[in-house]
Amino acid sequence: MKKQTADLFKQGTLELLILRLLSSGSFNGWDLMQRIQLVSGEVLTVTPGALYPALHRLEARGLISAVWRPSDNNRKAKFYGLTTRGRKQLETQRKEWERFSGAVDLILRDA
Amino acid sequence: MNLRNLLRRWRALTRRKELEDQLDDELRFHLQKDIEQNIRNGMSPEDARFAALKAFGAVDQSKEECRDARGVTLLENTIRDVSYSVRVLVKGYAFTTVVILTLALGIGANTAIFSFANGILLRPLPYPQSDRLAVLDETALKRGIDSMSVSYPNFLDWREQNTVFEDVAVYFGTGRVALTGAGEPVEIRSSRISHGLFEILRVSPQLGRTFTADEDRPEQDAVVILGHDLWQRTFGGDPNVIGQKIVLGNRPRTVVGVMPRGFRFPDVAELWVPLALTPQMFTRTDHGLDGIARLKDGVTFAAAQAEMHNIAARIEQQNPVTNEGLGVRVTSLHETLTGDYREALLILLGVVGFVLLVACVNVANLMLARATARQKEFALRAALGASRWRIVRQVMVESLLLAVIGGALGFVLSLWALRLLLTAIPIELPFWMNFGVDLRVLGFTLGITVLTGLIFGAVPAFQTSRVDLNDTLKEGGRGSIGLRARSRSLLVVTEIALSLVLLAGAGLMIRSFLHLRHVNIGVDTKNVITAGVALPRAKYRESAQSATFFKQLTQRVRAVPGVQAASATATLPLSGGGWGRSLTVEGFPVLSVGQAPMIQHTVVTPGYFRTMGIALLSGRDFTDADVEGAPPVTIIDERLAREYWPNESAVGKRIRFGPPEDNEPWHTIVGVVGTVRHQRVQEDTRKSVYLPHQQVPTNGLTLVARTSSLNPQDVVGAIRREVAQLDPDQPVSEIATMDQVVAESIWQPRLYAMLFAVFAGGALVLAMIGIYGVMAFLVQTRTHEIGVRMALGATARDVFKLIVGRGMKLTIIGVAVGVGGAIALTRLMHGLLFNTSTTDPITFIVISLLLSLAAFLACYIPARRAAKTDPLIALRYE
Repeated sequence: MKKQTADLFKQGTLELLILRLLSSGSFNGWDLMQRIQLVSGEVLTVTPGALYPALHRLEARGLISAVWRPSDNNRKAKFYGLTTRGRKQLETQRKEWERFSGAVDLILRDA
Repeated sequence: MNLRNLLRRWRALTRRKELEDQLDDELRFHLQKDIEQNIRNGMSPEDARFAALKAFGAVDQSKEECRDARGVTLLENTIRDVSYSVRVLVKGYAFTTVVILTLALGIGANTAIFSFANGILLRPLPYPQSDRLAVLDETALKRGIDSMSVSYPNFLDWREQNTVFEDVAVYFGTGRVALTGAGEPVEIRSSRISHGLFEILRVSPQLGRTFTADEDRPEQDAVVILGHDLWQRTFGGDPNVIGQKIVLGNRPRTVVGVMPRGFRFPDVAELWVPLALTPQMFTRTDHGLDGIARLKDGVTFAAAQAEMHNIAARIEQQNPVTNEGLGVRVTSLHETLTGDYREALLILLGVVGFVLLVACVNVANLMLARATARQKEFALRAALGASRWRIVRQVMVESLLLAVIGGALGFVLSLWALRLLLTAIPIELPFWMNFGVDLRVLGFTLGITVLTGLIFGAVPAFQTSRVDLNDTLKEGGRGSIGLRARSRSLLVVTEIALSLVLLAGAGLMIRSFLHLRHVNIGVDTKNVITAGVALPRAKYRESAQSATFFKQLTQRVRAVPGVQAASATATLPLSGGGWGRSLTVEGFPVLSVGQAPMIQHTVVTPGYFRTMGIALLSGRDFTDADVEGAPPVTIIDERLAREYWPNESAVGKRIRFGPPEDNEPWHTIVGVVGTVRHQRVQEDTRKSVYLPHQQVPTNGLTLVARTSSLNPQDVVGAIRREVAQLDPDQPVSEIATMDQVVAESIWQPRLYAMLFAVFAGGALVLAMIGIYGVMAFLVQTRTHEIGVRMALGATARDVFKLIVGRGMKLTIIGVAVGVGGAIALTRLMHGLLFNTSTTDPITFIVISLLLSLAAFLACYIPARRAAKTDPLIALRYE
């Protein structure tokens, strides 16, 4: 199967994925990119050009926060983590997503 | 927006540098990690770096998006846009200077005219709640008179019967009174007023009191109220002036009040005395007063008009002879005062607005030319991640910046222009006109400044946004020249059309003014000096005294060296004054006052017609033998003679004046003279009769003297001396040459024609610059093509014709559109034009030719340059 490009990521979907990944720990941008690829079984990839603006938007909306701290070999990197508001937002969005995909599933099964 | 958000935005703004560095660090970290991973996967460091960069994509674009996400961008970008604009504008200072000057002139002219209009039309009159003040006139619509003075008994009925006004008062228009006893006698502009007038205006005296009802009666009217300026000037602001006696026209009066600073009424009067009712004023046919009233709260002008209409009808019923056909008109004071100016000022505002539009078009044109030159810059910025909106905004910010600087400069210019404009007005302006800067003027300037910026900025901004940036980069900046050239051509056509409309308006105004200048007013105005001499009634109580005074004065003035002829008249031509009376002609049906024709009744001394150069067509002039006791005589003008005696001589026929029941004596016509325009240059509807001063002595006459010197002012000193020798207390006022009197009477059309010409001239120059710019641009961008044409055998003449032809094509389209627009718009000027059709073909043809010639000149230089092109150099061009 051909790799899906970031075009498939509607803005909201990418943001949902970021929130979901950050719910399990804090990561820097590069880590996040690797993880998206990894957990989606290399089906989904995201370009830096889409990822970083999305991170900055989430940060601006107060859903995630960032700290600078040393990464491997002591280089400073910007690590993002979920805020309380972000956690709530993730819950809402996940529920919505489940409802949506459940509905799609239902239709696909019945048809 | 909550506080946290605000804080974050503020921090993002103030810590911009830090945030930018962090963004760089963050993205660099990402790249580093990618490179490391690539190296681990076995790439060479160089390949690893290249692959990482490739995978990353457009770094700057990502950064721009991250900045957008930060959310401070609007303010931050605006600051950046402004500082960038300043740098760009400073760098292109030649362009900037031209644009700012153009805008400053356009905005300055608009602000000046707006200030002028504001001072007359928009500012409220300087009385509290002045919008509730009404002017009351009498009307005689059946005789075509829609406004005439009020008679005292009618006024008393109005005051008593109405329920719509708080109060009604009357006054006599501005007169003059001599203030004596303190050095040189001085004439003060004064008004005779009824009690209650100041209360209606709601202005209280600064000192003392206003007049009481009793003081309307003649025996108790030896009182006077002073204006603030007069009090300062003549009495040194003495607070004990109340109760002092001053001598006015040889009659002592007690000062009872001083009005506050700045108060004058009507027009420029600054001294007030009671009405001084005479028995004659108690007749309903004696019309001479002006009426003023204040509406009660909640009463509309229409309601007041309706009630006054009923009251007038009731008075007419009770007094069928004197009040036949008489009505009342209620108008707002503001409307009455400003009515004369309204139409012209609104048209002037329109005209000057057109000039600003032309300036906008010109600046838009320049902006377009520059936008072309800057295409690559914009394309580059777009490629670096600036959104289209950002670039459009950048252009708009530059435009607004230019507009604001132009507007500020224009505002300063307007102050100077307004002062210049006011010096062109030869009359003393009424006190209620105030041309100072107020919030309305500032708001207007700001408004048109922003609007201007948006208008001239929109075109290039729109063009820039439409350009395909990729194409631009690829084609080295030539991609959209065709498009730009089209917009610029469109702008030139617009500009020419607008200019034509303005020039047509100016042409019509000038033509109308020339017609006005050549109107034969029936008088030879050259070398005539005029001087007002108003004898105080208190001193010259007997009519014979006045008759003697003027007989002696004219004799003395005739003896002054340099004076060829001298005489005196009660009504100077074009003075607008005059005495209208009803006429009865012997042998014709006797008509009641309401139906009898009204004639202009003028009193003169012998020699008047010769002095003024009025043609004596038949019969004789008055002589010193036409005195009281001798048979009453009169001289009529030729129109009156033609009306009643078209086929025979009028000399020897008899006429009389006033209501038939008064049985005034018959006057025998002894002469017929040419027609004189007594009211205005534009019109004189009333036929005139003249009566000898010796038989109808009046106290106020204007002395007229014809001099042999080209400068009639030379004899003014001698005239003053002769007056002083007859009566040292007698002031002389309103000294002017007859030419000045004529000029003053047409100052408005002259000023308007002048302003139209200035504005249209400005528009013409702007249009020429615009055409030149477009043609020069055309030649520049088509150098290559011209080179090819010449290489293929085109002569210099062909090239010249090509360029001029292109320019003239635009011109002809513009002229055609402009003529259409002008025909539609000059109709609005109908009321301003005298004997000139709004579509006067000669004006339109001359203007079209003038504009075409100007356009040709503007094309000539670029066309010449094109024709001189060296094909070899041209082909190597670019």
